[in-house]
Amino acid sequence: MWKSLEKYGALVVPAILVIIFVVLLPFIAVINYSFQTPYSGDQFVGFLHYRSLFKDERLQDVFTRNLLFTTIALLTEIPLGLGLAYCFYKPSKTSTITSMIIAIPALLPGVTIGLIWRLMIRSTGPIPVFLRNYLNYIFEPFINPSQAFWILIAVDIWHWTSLSFIIFASALAGLDPTPTLSARTEGATRWQIFRFIEVPSLKFPLIFITLIRFMDSFKIYDEPTVITGGGPGLATEFLSMYIKRLGLDQWQLGYASAISMIYLFVVLIACFILIQLMTKGRGLSS
Amino acid sequence: MFYINSINDKRKGTFVLKIKGIFKYMLTATISLLFIFPIYFMIVTSISSKHDIEIGSLIPTNFDSSNWIELSKGYWISGIRNSLIISLSSVVLTLLVGFPAAYIFSRLKFTADKHLFFWLLTNRMAPPICFILAYIVMFRSLGLWDTIPGVVLAYSVFNIPIGIWLLVSFFSSVPREIDEQAFIDGFSMFEYWKKIFIPVVKGGIAVCSFFVWMFSWTEMLIASTLTSAKAKPLTVQLLITLGRVGYGVQFGLAAAAGVMTIVPGLALIYWARLYLAKGFTFGRL
Repeated sequence: MWKSLEKYGALVVPAILVIIFVVLLPFIAVINYSFQTPYSGDQFVGFLHYRSLFKDERLQDVFTRNLLFTTIALLTEIPLGLGLAYCFYKPSKTSTITSMIIAIPALLPGVTIGLIWRLMIRSTGPIPVFLRNYLNYIFEPFINPSQAFWILIAVDIWHWTSLSFIIFASALAGLDPTPTLSARTEGATRWQIFRFIEVPSLKFPLIFITLIRFMDSFKIYDEPTVITGGGPGLATEFLSMYIKRLGLDQWQLGYASAISMIYLFVVLIACFILIQLMTKGRGLSS
Repeated sequence: MFYINSINDKRKGTFVLKIKGIFKYMLTATISLLFIFPIYFMIVTSISSKHDIEIGSLIPTNFDSSNWIELSKGYWISGIRNSLIISLSSVVLTLLVGFPAAYIFSRLKFTADKHLFFWLLTNRMAPPICFILAYIVMFRSLGLWDTIPGVVLAYSVFNIPIGIWLLVSFFSSVPREIDEQAFIDGFSMFEYWKKIFIPVVKGGIAVCSFFVWMFSWTEMLIASTLTSAKAKPLTVQLLITLGRVGYGVQFGLAAAAGVMTIVPGLALIYWARLYLAKGFTFGRL
């Protein structure tokens, strides 16, 4: 090897510098803000912001909504993606085309997804018209809060089932067929094959998709902003939107920083627990 | 499921198989339609006349190009140009900074592998809004606010970790013996990169570039808070068009802009489908 690769260790430095600038410094700044009243007196207020978190009812609503949204989205997208992956993972002309079509939403910008669905659900759009004419169901997501929430979940499922499909399909295509074949020769049923051979080997993709979808759906911002704008009222306001309104629109930087610190902390802890639980403490390095 | 069991199939006879086949085609068609129709509707809206858009007709009665003409005017062109420059510069920055780092990470054994991976994940799972509060203040005082370099730098919070890890996963599959052979043959490290290593891993570099590009092209939240007039990318302009409530949203124009935003993804999907799983899992799958 080149006389000790360590000599070239300096090649890592530019990457580290950029990361320090865009991750570490902002992180320190946000911690700092959360103990002060920046740009409105610049006073040190200690844990005042953190204490007022517990009295903020809007925050509690928003947080509960985020949790509910993430749970429902995850519980739908993962089984749906797995089911679709079973239908279309085998190489054939139709499956290739279908899997490409299913994969499209994962590559679209969140704003565009929002636009597409706003077109679909506005009062003369195809969905309300269809529901009114054929099912006699009045669908008004811009007036009815619960319908607004459900349509956002539906949009998230439309957007991200693609991702769980992509990951499961590539995992299934990469499975070693031998155990399945020998199990079948010995008379195992389809369910037994699924339960005892495929599920264990799909464990890693399953962990991964759960993690990625958890962190992405928890920080959802683009679609609700475009589709409902947080309305009607505050019925579809999510955590990122709330922090943005507080911090940037109302310029309460200190309080917004305190919330975002807690937000970051909750997400990190949840992901850490997920990784530890699902890999039994081995980490993700395999 | 629709897993066709080849042993059982022979016993069952052709009738059941035929039903199964028809059912499968119907399912395929329905699913494809579910995913295609909303996108189709946006494309149709972009070429419909105002009246058609208002009544929400599914098939345009007469072709109307006014939205696309509007889109080719200065305001939108500058947004498209900004988007292109931001995405390209993000790719270049990530490769410039990430390539050497990824090479070192893939060649040197280091103890903190597991921790580094968790730290990478923390960067990706950290809600961007947490950083934005600080970026606004930092970038204003450094003169980076509302400039393209500022946006590119802010995007590197996700791009660089993802880029490095994707590259490492490709680099690790190149045997170290090649490095050693090149060293014995008297190559310097940079010569070796230029003549042997980069040609070998160029597929990996392409995949990494694609994902960095896609992230930068589709991002909206960071861009919408860090730009106001000069450096606005297409996604932010789209958001602003959709947010105008006073005299009604120009859905036709927004749809045309929306079609522009989906072009890169659609254009490359045939090639990208093979790498999507790898890209979304940082090469861990």
